[in-house]
Amino acid sequence: MTAQRDVFLTELRQLAENNPDIVLLSADMGAPALDEWREKLPQQFFATGISEQNTINVAAGLAASGKTPVVYFMASWVARCFEQIRYSCALQGLPVTILGNGVGFGYAPAGPAHEPTEDLAYMRSISGVEIWSPVTSDQVVALARLTMEMPALRYIRLERSLPSGWDATSSAAPLVAPDQHENIPPMRLLGERVSAPDVTLVASGYSLGRAQVLRESLIDDGVSVNVLDLTRVKPLDVEALRLSIQGSQALVTIEEHFLSGGLGAAIAEFVCDWRLSVPLLRIGVPDRYSFENGNREERLALNGMSHERIRDRVRHFLADLP
Amino acid sequence: MTDELALMAKRFRRDVFDFKTRSGYGHLASSLSCVDILVSLYLDPRTDFDHTRDVLIFGKGHGGPAVYPILAELGYFPRGELALYCHPDGILRLHPDGGIPGCEFLGGSLGNGIGYAAGRALARPDTRFWVLLGDAELYEGSVWESLLFISHHSLRNLGIIVDRNGLGILGFTEELLRLNPLAAKFESFGFTVTQCSGHSIDELAAALTLRDDQVHVVIAETIKGKGVSFMENLAEYHTIIPRDDDRISRGREELS
Repeated sequence: MTAQRDVFLTELRQLAENNPDIVLLSADMGAPALDEWREKLPQQFFATGISEQNTINVAAGLAASGKTPVVYFMASWVARCFEQIRYSCALQGLPVTILGNGVGFGYAPAGPAHEPTEDLAYMRSISGVEIWSPVTSDQVVALARLTMEMPALRYIRLERSLPSGWDATSSAAPLVAPDQHENIPPMRLLGERVSAPDVTLVASGYSLGRAQVLRESLIDDGVSVNVLDLTRVKPLDVEALRLSIQGSQALVTIEEHFLSGGLGAAIAEFVCDWRLSVPLLRIGVPDRYSFENGNREERLALNGMSHERIRDRVRHFLADLP
Repeated sequence: MTDELALMAKRFRRDVFDFKTRSGYGHLASSLSCVDILVSLYLDPRTDFDHTRDVLIFGKGHGGPAVYPILAELGYFPRGELALYCHPDGILRLHPDGGIPGCEFLGGSLGNGIGYAAGRALARPDTRFWVLLGDAELYEGSVWESLLFISHHSLRNLGIIVDRNGLGILGFTEELLRLNPLAAKFESFGFTVTQCSGHSIDELAAALTLRDDQVHVVIAETIKGKGVSFMENLAEYHTIIPRDDDRISRGREELS
């Protein structure tokens, strides 16, 4: 698999070749596609060094001057320049695209410094920001096009690997008619749609692999399941979300993130705000920093998020329902 | 002309004193220290700033209201707005922002205006930009990140002004956490540094010029609370605005 960062940068570079206003800023983060960009479009590339705060401020100034800046660094570092994203970009409504590479345990075994399990919480708290968590290369390509066609303050959470258990053959149905977003609907149902299912699984990015594997287990148990890819975590498309979970007897969210402020929290807020009476189970990373050794799957297992452990928890949850 | 501009500056200082004491909001002393710098940029034809096409960005946004009387003078909004500063019916806010005619960027978070200005200047080489920093703002690490960037890219259309009033909220910078030798720090980054009195119209006129072969920092030595004797050079007046009639009338008198 080509890494998402390279898919994005390759697509955007091709667009940038005909659009001198697209500029890339890297806070000393590399990628094969970035090397190609530097070679082909040196005038549209700025090495800003390991200085995330200045990088975002410069990007804000470029955006205010009519450029379409794209900032590239590790997802962990959005915390480092949270103030600049809020103050210089959001407060001024400036269209800066932030590519955060390696969400969740994506950089394992690097340890918690490189493994953001709170980025959704703080980025969701900013007004006017779009947050996307793509899983397929098609989605990443569509997001690169969206960056050029509809610049906005946008945080794109890039995965470093395909999800374990990912079923690439599964069909995907967009949940809103493709409008100005072209090929990137805010959410979609993966696999065949079941009407009034026993449970709807909601996830995005790497966690979608867990949802797909879980679906197969639950179907074997005789449980009917929908899987919802919540590609755009903010803003929620509430109408599409309401329609997509209509009739569902239960909801389960799966995320490689703390439970506070993440995808599950967004769904819990939605359920509460719309007075839906549907039981909800949120599965996420326990509220502690994980210093254990291991690759991504091993770390997930150590944090109660192996495929099997998730399956068992969801089975218990469904069995306990009134 | 110098005398005339100095008189105007005094009048603007009184305007600032009036709307700050009337409302009780904001940072009066920090605004008073930079009025002459702003008068020099906006009203002295000798300086490299044409307000109709060039852009001033406040790093020290808390001093930004000092520009309001000048913008009123230049017709960006009616002078009556000064009396409505921080009032629900008025357009002038405690920190300037892009929603106020004649203002760009926003104030209230230090260390960010300079990086924003760098991005603006990088994308618009045909436009001149000035950014006004407070000296205590220099404690923000992001400022030094931006200085590296500005120097590396030789952004000669961006002038950096430091309002060197020597005070933070807690006291003198040189006692709290030393900034000196300040000029040498900028010089080591590759900047041409001009030091001048931030209250001398003639010295400012000579300093506030951009040259095509240099990246510029102007260190303007100023007095916090300038023009009001009982406020001058006192840290405690960073957030305090005179409220009693006696000090308000004394302040107005001294600025008249």
